[in-house]
Amino acid sequence: MDPALLDRAYDFILRRMVEGGEPPHFSDLARAFSIAPEDGKALLRELMDTGIPCWLYPDTDYIASFAPFNLQPTHYRIAVDGQRRGFGQCGFEALAVTWLYPGRTVAVDSVCLDCGEPIRLEMRDGKLLGSAPAGLHGYVDVPFGEWPKNRAYS
Amino acid sequence: MNLFRSEEHARRWSGYRAEAAAGLLPLAQLHAIFSADFFRQRLSGRYLSDFKTLRADLVATVARVTGNDPFWWRA
Repeated sequence: MDPALLDRAYDFILRRMVEGGEPPHFSDLARAFSIAPEDGKALLRELMDTGIPCWLYPDTDYIASFAPFNLQPTHYRIAVDGQRRGFGQCGFEALAVTWLYPGRTVAVDSVCLDCGEPIRLEMRDGKLLGSAPAGLHGYVDVPFGEWPKNRAYS
Repeated sequence: MNLFRSEEHARRWSGYRAEAAAGLLPLAQLHAIFSADFFRQRLSGRYLSDFKTLRADLVATVARVTGNDPFWWRA
């Protein structure tokens, strides 16, 4: 497939999510690119097979996760300038949401899975404005090289 | 990939595995990794075209930030 078309499809999907928090269906992709619905479906599937940290719901053509966002609720709630913007894909990707909203304050509200107490951090233009409590840590038990094998678990 | 209130909280968590202790990083190190161009360039309009280069840069960033700990490269 034309690499430029994959670039455009990726950009279209991510911008839709940045602007409204909702992913497009493949028929939206088809309409936007003036192609048949089946070609929109094929485009979406090929995009998801490129190795980007995104995936479909099993046995469907519905976007389940598109980094750094997740479509199912996670315990990483995102807010931009105080307005809810969905969920982070994971605790680590939540840190990358800031790059999609230049000049705006991105907050990540979560809970510690050990104690259930809140975790909060704020970022703007990639800079950490603050975190509570101090001393936050992240943990993953899957090596970097294995993330693509099971992205949902990682 | 989860965030915890402290290193101690992460180590106490039921999902923590001592053999993957190197997967525990302070926020500053996570922030350094997730500041790589792999994450910054997602709206460049050329993300897929640049994906291999961006991923190679991310691999180098993870190696630098983690001190190239073997855990991160285990297959």
